Amino acid sequence: MDYKAPVEAYNGVVREITIGKGNKSLKIGGENILPFHFFDQGSSPNPARFALEILDMKPEDWPEHAVEPYRDVISDPVAWAKKCQGFGVDAISLFLVSTDPAVKNSPADKAAALVREVAGAIDVPLIVYGSGDEVKDVEVLSKVAEVCDGMNLLIGPVLKENYEAVGKAILEHGHTAIAQSPLDINLLKELNVKLSKFFPAERIVIDPLSSALGYGMEYSFSLIERVKQIGIMTKDSMTMMPIIANLGGECWKTKQAKENKKQGLLWEGVTAMSLLLAGANIVVLRHPETLRLIKETIQAR
Amino acid sequence: MIIIGENIHVIAKAVSTAIRERDAGVIRDLARAQTEAGADYIDLNVGPMKRDPEENMHWLVGTVQEVTDLPLSIDTMNPVAMEAGLKGCKKRPLLNSASGKTDSKGQMLPLARKYNCSVVISVMTDKGMPPDVDSKIESIMDTVTYANELGISNEDIWVDPIVLPVSTAGEGQRFTVANLEFIKILGDVLPGVKSTVGLSNVSNGVPNELRPLLNCVYLVMLAKNGLYSAIADPLDKELMSMMKGSMPREVELIHKTMDGEDVSLSALAQKQVHYVKTAKVLMGETLYSDAWLES
Repeated sequence: MDYKAPVEAYNGVVREITIGKGNKSLKIGGENILPFHFFDQGSSPNPARFALEILDMKPEDWPEHAVEPYRDVISDPVAWAKKCQGFGVDAISLFLVSTDPAVKNSPADKAAALVREVAGAIDVPLIVYGSGDEVKDVEVLSKVAEVCDGMNLLIGPVLKENYEAVGKAILEHGHTAIAQSPLDINLLKELNVKLSKFFPAERIVIDPLSSALGYGMEYSFSLIERVKQIGIMTKDSMTMMPIIANLGGECWKTKQAKENKKQGLLWEGVTAMSLLLAGANIVVLRHPETLRLIKETIQAR
Repeated sequence: MIIIGENIHVIAKAVSTAIRERDAGVIRDLARAQTEAGADYIDLNVGPMKRDPEENMHWLVGTVQEVTDLPLSIDTMNPVAMEAGLKGCKKRPLLNSASGKTDSKGQMLPLARKYNCSVVISVMTDKGMPPDVDSKIESIMDTVTYANELGISNEDIWVDPIVLPVSTAGEGQRFTVANLEFIKILGDVLPGVKSTVGLSNVSNGVPNELRPLLNCVYLVMLAKNGLYSAIADPLDKELMSMMKGSMPREVELIHKTMDGEDVSLSALAQKQVHYVKTAKVLMGETLYSDAWLES
């Protein structure tokens, strides 16, 4: 008797979201199958996307082997962004760490001007992360949204504490939002419910927080997996958004990644591969060699 | 549905102060109000009662019995306080509670036998809280067998599957679903046993104004599956109306939702929509968030 493999079909579809404008735009999400389940009925119209991270200031705590690929551009975010393009990225993720009151508390105006400059200098869409300070980010991200009006940047983190103000600015100026919640599926859904009361769900990307291998990665894995299952299998509208896994920074903070380069690349690579298998749609990495490693792995080269 | 009134509870500051200062008025008022509201038992939850357990419990039981003829549920993990409480009861009380833990089997179950009372037995064991329906059943069968051997009959055993908050990150809904299933099969596994739950814990950690809705809907759902009693708030009028049969349409709506019938939300009043949405959360069909009524 012939064996016939079961084929699943689901009702839920992850919203397909476009970031960036015109020939700089990029589509993420859109799948109605579970990650890499190409044997089921349905499709995953957009492959996993990759961004490299850059900072708005010279990094202070990066190990030597993480600085090395960027040494000549590390004090110049515009040049740094251009250099990243050469590594074959789908997007650049700019972190406005210097705006953090605990770092340099640099002003919102300056940050917004830099974002505009970087966005104008590259040919791929730009992701912008504020410092995560819930108060300062209202000022910084609102200014960024305003100065970059109409560029459809992917901007976050939009938090439970500031979603009204930050969401409003992102909406008014035609951008896409990253809704971030602290590794908790109930809080994640709650934020999406509240945000989507005035903000189109078609312009929300979920950041569930990504922990590194050995530092809680399994929590991120389970959470991403569950968000995808609930969205695709049970058609819960408030989890049917693409997921961004911002993991580069988390991986390179670890003792193991700092110790030596090979370990660092593997740490970041294993974390990224795992979260992609869980269902991440776009991952933010730090090291260009990790990027190459992951792409080769996915393409089975 | 037997309602065990939960309001005399040491976590309430007014109650702990009243016990410490021998303020009988506060205790009498709570006992009277719950009696008038239609409770079937009055629970006296005194916690571990580390100081003067005998004197305190003796006073409390006496004070409550001055104003109510209802039987009492003596709710403490301190065996000395427990014995003092059981000894002072005029009506046949409920020992609340024992479990499959070694200490509890050694101290609490013999007290239930000695005072010939009913006893709540939870699914807890020395290994902690059993994580799923199968392990809950396994552990309660062991403890009930042990209780039977001591001479306590199934009819006097009120099994408690332990209700946990539905809002517990990611896991809460798994617990609410497991307990619905547990209550459904309990009678087949252990014929004759009764059951009870600490109902209000299901809504712990949820915004205050939303708690009664979860408590109420969950009780209706558990009742459909055969729950015998609940430690709950008899002063919650909606909950009592549902249990006393004066809201049959609402109860039916919740039952239909549980049975997977297609309930058209657009034809319903807002309050009814809330019952349906809440039932779907508690049966694990919709992912929980504090904004579950809003999506």
